[in-house]
Amino acid sequence: MKMIGIIFSDIYNSEMGELTKQRTLASVPFGGRYRLVDFVLSNMANSGFESIGIITRYNYQSLMDNLGSCEEWDLNRKNGRVFILPPFGTGQTSVSHGNLQALAGAQMFLERAKGEYVLISNANIVCNIDYQRALDDHIKSGAELTIICDRENPIYEDERRSLVIEEKDGEIKDVTIQDTYDDTKLCGMGMYIMKKSYLQKLIKYAQVHGLYHFERDFVLHGFRTGELSINLYEFKKSTLRSSDLLSYYNNNLRLLEESVRQDIFIPNRPIYTKVRDEVPTYYAQNAVSSNSLIADGCTINGTVEDSVLFRDIQVEEGAEVHKSVVMQGASIGKGSKIEYCIIDKDVTITEGRTLIGAPTAPIVIQKGQKI
Amino acid sequence: MLERRKECIAMLLAGGQGSRLKVLTSDVAKPAVSFGGKYRIIDFPLSNCVNSGIDTVGILTQYKPLELNSYVGNGQPWGLNRNFGGVSILPPYAQADKSEWYKGTANAIYQNIHFIDMYNPEYVLILSGDHIYKMDYSKMLAFHKERNADCTIAVYDVPWEETSRFGIVNANPDGMIYEFEEKPKNAKSNHASMGIYIFNWKVLRKYLTEDEADPNSSNDFGKNILPNMLHDEQRLFAYVFDGYWKDVGTLDSLWEANMDIINPKVPLELKDPDFRIYARNYAKAPSYIDPKASVKNSMVSEGCVIRGTVENSIISAGCVVEEGAVVKNTVIMPESRVEKDAKIIYAIIGENTVVHENAEVGKEPAECPAVWGLSVVGSHRVIEEGQVIGPKEVV
Repeated sequence: MKMIGIIFSDIYNSEMGELTKQRTLASVPFGGRYRLVDFVLSNMANSGFESIGIITRYNYQSLMDNLGSCEEWDLNRKNGRVFILPPFGTGQTSVSHGNLQALAGAQMFLERAKGEYVLISNANIVCNIDYQRALDDHIKSGAELTIICDRENPIYEDERRSLVIEEKDGEIKDVTIQDTYDDTKLCGMGMYIMKKSYLQKLIKYAQVHGLYHFERDFVLHGFRTGELSINLYEFKKSTLRSSDLLSYYNNNLRLLEESVRQDIFIPNRPIYTKVRDEVPTYYAQNAVSSNSLIADGCTINGTVEDSVLFRDIQVEEGAEVHKSVVMQGASIGKGSKIEYCIIDKDVTITEGRTLIGAPTAPIVIQKGQKI
Repeated sequence: MLERRKECIAMLLAGGQGSRLKVLTSDVAKPAVSFGGKYRIIDFPLSNCVNSGIDTVGILTQYKPLELNSYVGNGQPWGLNRNFGGVSILPPYAQADKSEWYKGTANAIYQNIHFIDMYNPEYVLILSGDHIYKMDYSKMLAFHKERNADCTIAVYDVPWEETSRFGIVNANPDGMIYEFEEKPKNAKSNHASMGIYIFNWKVLRKYLTEDEADPNSSNDFGKNILPNMLHDEQRLFAYVFDGYWKDVGTLDSLWEANMDIINPKVPLELKDPDFRIYARNYAKAPSYIDPKASVKNSMVSEGCVIRGTVENSIISAGCVVEEGAVVKNTVIMPESRVEKDAKIIYAIIGENTVVHENAEVGKEPAECPAVWGLSVVGSHRVIEEGQVIGPKEVV
């Protein structure tokens, strides 16, 4: 059964600090060679989606650069394409304030896209999920809306999720938003399946009734009034959800766990990304690398431990990189030491610098800076 | 109507079996053999073309073309998916009056005269698919035009003691060629032909047609076309190329060229952003280096998991080196696995091969100087637990 995909590219922008200063959340680099949107887009491509719309609000130049013609996803076909859906501006609404309102910009796209069902998703979740199975479950349930969700325990006290569902024997007891959670409850993954015609009606209804927020104004309201029939599809593999800088940092380092990598990098369901034609990584005679994920094009002369290195990174002699996320094109100068850092793209750390953050507060060095 | 044409197109001879690469070419043509961790040999001439502004390439295939065809595809990884031009795979085909295989290098081009005519080029660049080098052909073309040549042959200065292994080109100081010598005992020059030629298409077309009509010809560029042109006093020039160049037609030279990548003294720089070598990409995750791993003076491509010791080696995409395994001075081609405590020293391991626990492949030269040589394991092989593959063995 054909599905149409809609991706929100920038829902959590404001919580990601410096990383989204010059880009949308969807194009934040992740996991050594990817951007966040690569995962949801690859999941859609691997699940046979043919029409995918990406809703953007601001800063979408880097997103467009990353996607190009989408040939890497095999989505540059006559009947398989990705559409960037910039803000819907005909006077009354220009930049939208909520995800439900933002869907207004997707109406024309939805009308033309072929497929009976729609999956809408945020771009902040890294996982490898087969949406066809979720769709089968949705159809079988006969519900109007399927919420894809998972069970987790919070890493920090008072951590919250945008949609938390209390359920017993398949029956939904309560739905809350921005609530605390643990693994006795289900957390919405920001992925929803419904009929295209249902979503089209919802968008029109939301527009004239001033509804902004998909979770609050539609899901929660629908549950409380009993007007909406909800099906829950529980996804049981690793789910890395980046809702702020700290979770983003931790999620990158979680890729160092073998079980997480096995859940996410599945050989017959690859995660695609823009090809950059880098050479393989060179490890010099004095290089020490341990428990790290290292992409192509790097030159390692120093020490790299418990870290994620993106493409084309120079680690010079005597330099030490610990528990850090280092993005594309950065260089770590001789004798420098970094620990608990997020180093954005094209940063230069000159000789002999020391940057040490804390596990709960990693230091972020902005794109292009020279330290 | 304005006629669409190309100034220069390239014809890449990729039909050879490469029998001297033995087990590595039992399933694939030589140009499709893996190189340097993430490349295949054909990536070098194809990338050279693109980096030299040549956007039309005909690839002549004959031997085991499947892998090569699917690798090249529509040419997109090299930017050769063009509306007019781009990459075309040219296998031998049946014609109205006869059908035959490519009999020789010249015959292969002869059989594709229609393809070349379609682009109506001024010049045709002839390349072979078994060399590792980075070369800007546009400089060679400029040289060709400057000299008003009919044919320009790229030459590489080999050490004098090796001249007897090469086709040697004797030329005047201005580059004009007056003699060819095939593997001479006492060479007059150390200009070895690189098998890279630029011809004026009109002239080459005439010689190809005449050569085809000659029943005694072996239809080969080096043996027939070039000597005939020289005999007729056509303007042939030698263009000296002074970058890195290596014929990887043998197992030893293929291994050496791989090792050259990690040798800082050898000028084979793959990391030049202005002259990239492009390759088809298989969407692999970054490589994971385990706390138990030790990786020294080596190249590791994407999608690998390294838990053992890797020294002076090239580990290609998607390989696994398990705990306790030792890989030294070795080239491991894509998707192969070296299991626990296996030992691989001075070897080439083909693609999709598994070396099971405690197996041993190869030896240090010092351990057996008299009988030492590279050990080579082909593609899709399984080396059993505890099996020993000695030096010089090819399996």
